[in-house]
Amino acid sequence: MIEDIRALMNNKFNIRNMSVIAHVDHGKSTLTDSLVAAAGIMALEQAGDARLTDTRADEQERGITIKSTGISLYYEMTEEALKNFSGKRDGNSYLVNLIDSPGHVDFSSEVTAALRITDGALVVVDCVEGVCVQTETVLRQALGERIRPVLTVNKMDRCFLELQLEGEEAYTTYLRVIENANVILATYQDDAMGDLQVYPDKGTVSFSAGLHGWAFTLTTFAQMYAAKFGTSEAKMMEKLWGDNFFDPATKKWTKKQTDSPTCVRGFVQFCYNPIKQVIDLAMNDNKDKLFKLLEKVNCLDKLKSEDKELVGKPLMKRTMQSWLPASEALLEMIVYHLPSPAIAQKYRADVLYEGPLDDQYADSIRACDPDGPLMMYVSKMIPTADKGRFLAFGRVFSGTVSTGKKVRIMGPNYVPGEKKDLTVKSVQRTVLCMGRKQEAVESVPCGNTVALVGLDQFITKTATITNESCEDAHPMKAMKFSVSPVVRVAVEPKVASDLPKLVEGLKRLARSDPMVQCIIEETGEHIIAGAGELHLEICLKDLQDDFMGGAEIRVSEPVVSFRETVSDRSDHTVMSKSPNKHNRLYLQARPMEDGLAEAIDEGKIGPKDDPKVRSKTMSEEFGWDKDLTKKIWCFGPDTMGPNILVDVTKGVQYLNEIKDSCVAAFQWASKEGVIAEENMRGIVFEVHDVVMHADAIHRGGGQIIPTCRRALYAAELTAKPRLCEPVYLVEIQAPEQALGGIYSGAPGAVLSWCCAGLLPGLFLCTPCFRSLSGPLEVLRTVYLDSHDQATV
Amino acid sequence: MVLYLIGLGLYDERDITLRGLDAVRGCARIYLEAYTSILLCDKLRLEALYGKPVVVADREMVENDADLILEGADQIDVAFLVVGDPFGATTHTDLQLRARERGIPVRVIHNASVMNAVGACGLQLYKFGESVSIVFFTDTWRPDSFYDKIAANRKLGLHTLCLLDIKVKEPNLEALCRGKTIYEPPRYMSIKTALEQLLEIEEKRREGAYDAGTLAVGMARVGAPDQRVVAGGMRELMEVDFGAPLHCLIIAGNVHVVEEEILGYYRIGQAGAAAGAEGAAAAAGGGGASTAEALAVGGGEGSS
Repeated sequence: MIEDIRALMNNKFNIRNMSVIAHVDHGKSTLTDSLVAAAGIMALEQAGDARLTDTRADEQERGITIKSTGISLYYEMTEEALKNFSGKRDGNSYLVNLIDSPGHVDFSSEVTAALRITDGALVVVDCVEGVCVQTETVLRQALGERIRPVLTVNKMDRCFLELQLEGEEAYTTYLRVIENANVILATYQDDAMGDLQVYPDKGTVSFSAGLHGWAFTLTTFAQMYAAKFGTSEAKMMEKLWGDNFFDPATKKWTKKQTDSPTCVRGFVQFCYNPIKQVIDLAMNDNKDKLFKLLEKVNCLDKLKSEDKELVGKPLMKRTMQSWLPASEALLEMIVYHLPSPAIAQKYRADVLYEGPLDDQYADSIRACDPDGPLMMYVSKMIPTADKGRFLAFGRVFSGTVSTGKKVRIMGPNYVPGEKKDLTVKSVQRTVLCMGRKQEAVESVPCGNTVALVGLDQFITKTATITNESCEDAHPMKAMKFSVSPVVRVAVEPKVASDLPKLVEGLKRLARSDPMVQCIIEETGEHIIAGAGELHLEICLKDLQDDFMGGAEIRVSEPVVSFRETVSDRSDHTVMSKSPNKHNRLYLQARPMEDGLAEAIDEGKIGPKDDPKVRSKTMSEEFGWDKDLTKKIWCFGPDTMGPNILVDVTKGVQYLNEIKDSCVAAFQWASKEGVIAEENMRGIVFEVHDVVMHADAIHRGGGQIIPTCRRALYAAELTAKPRLCEPVYLVEIQAPEQALGGIYSGAPGAVLSWCCAGLLPGLFLCTPCFRSLSGPLEVLRTVYLDSHDQATV
Repeated sequence: MVLYLIGLGLYDERDITLRGLDAVRGCARIYLEAYTSILLCDKLRLEALYGKPVVVADREMVENDADLILEGADQIDVAFLVVGDPFGATTHTDLQLRARERGIPVRVIHNASVMNAVGACGLQLYKFGESVSIVFFTDTWRPDSFYDKIAANRKLGLHTLCLLDIKVKEPNLEALCRGKTIYEPPRYMSIKTALEQLLEIEEKRREGAYDAGTLAVGMARVGAPDQRVVAGGMRELMEVDFGAPLHCLIIAGNVHVVEEEILGYYRIGQAGAAAGAEGAAAAAGGGGASTAEALAVGGGEGSS
């Protein structure tokens, strides 16, 4: 089996790298099980219950995914199943490198890491809850990475069993889910990728019930009916979606619903109702009728004799699994509509590679050339069974990585041409991730995911790996996370002698999670910063149990980090003199234009932009003067943060000689603002005038840096400074009668009323620090207790 | 009553003027400005000569706590000792301004400075243009504004005095950005480094302000007994070992016949070029120049 997989890895047209993404609890892991079962790794009966990709004990217990897990799956497709596939392929065997990712917002950094190394995404949406906050976030992230999506409307079983929806009602629900998803997709139209929207009648949307292991696309049904109606499958598919109605009495298709009571929408008539019928029959143990019906659809012989003995739900599950196996529908979407690395890397190279887009590395990534120079991106570190060691998990984009190969490891702080954050080491082993276990292979060519053994001491979180000799290679672009580590706690060992364990444990923790930050404050405190409470809780548990060998730790109350900003222009120009009094800086601060800070966050505008492009975007979208955009000195903090230092002086000589000192001061000041030593956000600092000493030696860093910092602080203080607190965007869905109570009892401000799913809901904006102390928790329990269907 | 700004001259404790010594002896508090220079002789030798304790004032004290120095100066006399001349190192104009604001009279007692002692090499002080400082280049900070000034001086046929960077008690910039002050070990620029930097900028700008063959004069430890003066092409001077700090450099403009004659003695290969003793003798006329003074000027201009 592993040999088959290895052989397929060379076949870059028959590989699909994909991630499964969704809002929390929409059924990703459960659905993934069906795919894993179809590849023969687990028994079909377990599918939907085992959640094989939830490898950790706490994931199984809590029923949520915490870490993204990779698994390489091998499928042999039938000729029949591939007959309509017009893309390039080589044989009928397919390798799907699948990554199941968490849905909870606290772990969305895991999703980011997963998306980077995949080309396609299976977006799972609960048909009852609809497109939720996190669905939107992960979709946007996927599109930013140029990941092609396909959609599955999941938890269909709820429509049949729990809600007992009628056909037409169900159709409008699904339609709304798909439309909502397409609205998001439409905003990211990218010429390099073509049409990204999903359509059921084109096979890019499937309908699934992960828990029961069944799913279908309209192709499934079109194939059944095409012959009967004497039409092509493609035509039949069109009839099965949208406003196409069929009247069995007249046997006529119409575009509008006629007055005839027997006239029913195609989807309802031919897809929804048959399923409803089968499920009802199975649930009511009406086996005679059921088996007769199954015979009609050539499915009866797929049921084993012991399956036929089952009753109720298990019977229904087995029947549906045999009739509409989830893996078939999903695989069809994956193979037909998700791109192979050979295709995807052509358009992804531009957004992946940091260096010049015409050098040999960019070319080789674009061509997905296994003989080209090695380019691999390590997107996360996975802890191994051997405690304290990690696998470097990532994707080979060009060349081939093999056991024993000497490689250049470029860390996130590596600058081409310098020696910083650069190591040369040998790969001990290359292994494939197979859910809970790993399989060793000799080498892995480009287009595949892989894990490397023996590099963990040299990689903290992410890295680009290339050949030892490729000294002119640039690293791959760093990942952009949608959340930031805003919640922090201080930790200390209960027993002072455990301190070395804590220090070592924190190092390991920092490695194990793409998002968490472990900081040693100057006071000697050890700080852990995470995206949210749950994230921190998991991190702390890992730290104590896995990375410190169970040594006990004491944890402080969580605090959240704030941001400093200004709400108006400085009421006068502030001036600061250098210590030798020979240099004077004149500054003003003003708030950024709406949306600019976000654009910088998303990397649309940043220090590495082509000046012409930046000038165009900033003048067109944010109304900056074109000449002014060329005078931006820097962004900060950390050279890419959402604050800008800009030079608006006129005719000052030798200004460039103090620029570096001002930039250094700005980085410092924007990191530790004047109000609370928190990061600044959304402030533009303008240098209005500078008086300098005649001689360069009197205006060195020692003179300018402290001066400029003081001036920046003064400018902030004179511009109506404000503190921003982080908020959670909370979506609450509840029955109408409960909403009133939520409205009056919830902490924070209600942003809008929404209706994404079947239940009415509202968006809440809740301050993180208030929710930390409990009210949101309370809200969750109270309203969940009294109104079962409220979801937070 | 009075704030005295007193120049200490170029070489050792005995370079102070008689009037200066009288003033020091009459002061209640004595500060020695100690960051634009390091004294070659020990502070104890100053104290022995003055018969009074001397407080060392570092950069932070002078720049940030000037009030401490001026405290009570309306009642008593305070001396502020500066190696070289008080107005070679420009920082001290600020101290003067502050004193005047408080109505404290300021008296200045001058002394020799490297800015006049360089006349020892034979180039006439009348013919010097704007002075420049050459600062240590870092990876990111490579200020080259001196180039324009040298170019302007040379265009007018003027000589340019290049004061070379000294870093005494300079804060480490990386640490400064993290809000801490850590001092770097002291560094003094050599003539060789200065020439490398000068030629690097010419290479970059290519505006022909000077070239590798342009006549320059390197001077080390001006005013000290082992003073060294060598004249030659810029590239040639890079090969000369000038020895211990402090160094300074003159880029010649149009050279007068008489200047030419004296420089002849210092040309590379000439006996005079190696004669430290003669240099000292020449400088002795200027009141005994010293390493310390060169430090004072280089550092004072350099970092205040």
